[in-house]
Amino acid sequence: MSPPVRYRRLSTVKVLMMAADALWSNRLRTGLTTLGTIIGISSAIAITSIGQGVQKATEQKLQALGTNVLLVQAGVTTNNSSQGAATLTWEDSQAVSQQVTAAKAVSAFLQKPQVQVVYAEQKIVTNLIGTDKYYPEVKNIYPQEGQFLSQDDVNAANPVVVLGSKVRDRLFGLNASAVGADIRIQGERYKVIGVMEPKGALGEVDQDDQLYIPLTNMSARIVGNNALAGLAISGLWLKSNSEVYLDAAQFQVTNLLRLRHNIYPPQPDTFRITNQKDLINTLNSVVGLFTVMVVAIAGISLIVGGIGIANIMFVSVVERTREIGIRKAVGATNAAILHQFLAEAVVVSCTGGAIGVGVGIVISFGAATIFQFPFVVSLWSVATSLGISCVIGLLAGLIPAHHAAQLDPIVALRSE
Amino acid sequence: MTTMVRMEAITKTYCLGEVSIPVLKQVDLSIAQGDYVAIMGASGSGKSTLMNIVGCLDRPTTGEYFLEGKNLTTLNEDELAYIRNQHIGFVFQQFHLLSRATALENVMLPMVYANLSQQEQHQRAIQALTSVGLSEHLAKRPNQLSGGQQQRVAFARALVNQPAMILADEPTGALDTKTSQDVMHLLQELNEQGITIVIVTHDRDVAAQAKWIIHLQDGSVVNQACNSRL
Repeated sequence: MSPPVRYRRLSTVKVLMMAADALWSNRLRTGLTTLGTIIGISSAIAITSIGQGVQKATEQKLQALGTNVLLVQAGVTTNNSSQGAATLTWEDSQAVSQQVTAAKAVSAFLQKPQVQVVYAEQKIVTNLIGTDKYYPEVKNIYPQEGQFLSQDDVNAANPVVVLGSKVRDRLFGLNASAVGADIRIQGERYKVIGVMEPKGALGEVDQDDQLYIPLTNMSARIVGNNALAGLAISGLWLKSNSEVYLDAAQFQVTNLLRLRHNIYPPQPDTFRITNQKDLINTLNSVVGLFTVMVVAIAGISLIVGGIGIANIMFVSVVERTREIGIRKAVGATNAAILHQFLAEAVVVSCTGGAIGVGVGIVISFGAATIFQFPFVVSLWSVATSLGISCVIGLLAGLIPAHHAAQLDPIVALRSE
Repeated sequence: MTTMVRMEAITKTYCLGEVSIPVLKQVDLSIAQGDYVAIMGASGSGKSTLMNIVGCLDRPTTGEYFLEGKNLTTLNEDELAYIRNQHIGFVFQQFHLLSRATALENVMLPMVYANLSQQEQHQRAIQALTSVGLSEHLAKRPNQLSGGQQQRVAFARALVNQPAMILADEPTGALDTKTSQDVMHLLQELNEQGITIVIVTHDRDVAAQAKWIIHLQDGSVVNQACNSRL
């Protein structure tokens, strides 16, 4: 007379339907119970998605600059204060260009922030860069209109200027024609020969809010060069043939400059080298750390949510003691009762998880739209979130469901 | 007539800490198929415990219980659940319907655990409710039905898996005289269809309908008499 297997095991679909039905009849409570999982999962999804989006956007911008680029700056950084000593010269730059085999192109530059620029009645303050013809190639930014500085302009220290797109907009009006006009930079007259394409801001530096004039001209007329060894520069950009040569280039540049400046161990460098790859790595580790932190917080919220579910399940078992008795009297096995309550916990937490995924996607989509970075939702994070919420439901439901299954039908039937 | 229930020297003892309380003492009982038995006795006489053991909701401490010739004493909980589901129908004083389920869903419940198809559950539940005269109240919840109607839903639920035996624990205890009579009539009809009926009651009028009356006192059968009226 032992029961057939068919009797012992209800189909999963049937059990889930029964669970959904029971939960639906107590909608408010079910809704409040799911909140914990919704908050946990949605914040995890939103933050990982936003983090990935920001990371991707920054990487794209850095990659647009080129991942095979080194920045060598004059001066050293000691205890957070940078000393912009005039330790690099144009001759250094030319030596790097000629002797560093890993270098594809080298561009020297002088930089002066907060320079006053005037056109007609318009007066603006912007960032002035003196450089050479290699700048566009190295920085991967090209003129949209007119042309960039030529070798002749640099050799002859011509009073010509190339405008960043934002400078053009501010001085001449949005997308107005500027080539051929005369502007004044710190009182000196310059002819506009080109306007650069817009590139967007990267960190603090807005590449579009800059002016470019010949390095030689800037050194003589704007900065007032007094370097004994030659024409002082703020630094140089070096572009290698490929990312893989970057470390070699950095090594060669360091050795060459130390030699040229007569620096011997244990003396430190008098210049700083920034590697684009290092920047990306730093950025990735910062975003990674941030993501780990937020995911940890989301995890805590999920645990709290799970405890909430367990609590409500206990209350539900007590409230429905008589129902459990009735079900057992008409033939429910312990396993059937266990599955019913487990299924309710799992349905609650998985529903919360699914809603959380939806809310998280909406939040990150909104953030991506408002702050203009790519909208990325990885399947991995969605799948993990749903998986975790189901596991939490199982764990939270286990003890209450076991408690329900073990109830004595006679005692359960007698309860009010 | 074959034997439906045979109990041999059944005892039931509850242990409360160090004290053991004997509730049933050496009860021998035999109920034939198609019988109609009323169990009477004062409260605390052990009649509910006897009923629970007959209904496989409880196990005896010692003694042997045979249902339709099969020894149930050694069965595990799942096997007892199966017997409750397939062979026994329960009717309780408090009806014990699921309050948030409709009459139809309540009647379908035993078939859910019998793993019948949705279609068959539906069909048989409607049939059972029609047979107790509730075909127009399928979608009503217990709180929308009168006491008599609720008890009839409970009967439909008890009948729906075609049990050999119906156990009714004070089935009229919560009903007025008129509806009590309806319920008694229903029990009579079911018995005439060949279903074995075991009923626990205080009420002499209710017991008077049974073929046999078993009197319990302090856990022992003191009198097992054929109903004088028959």
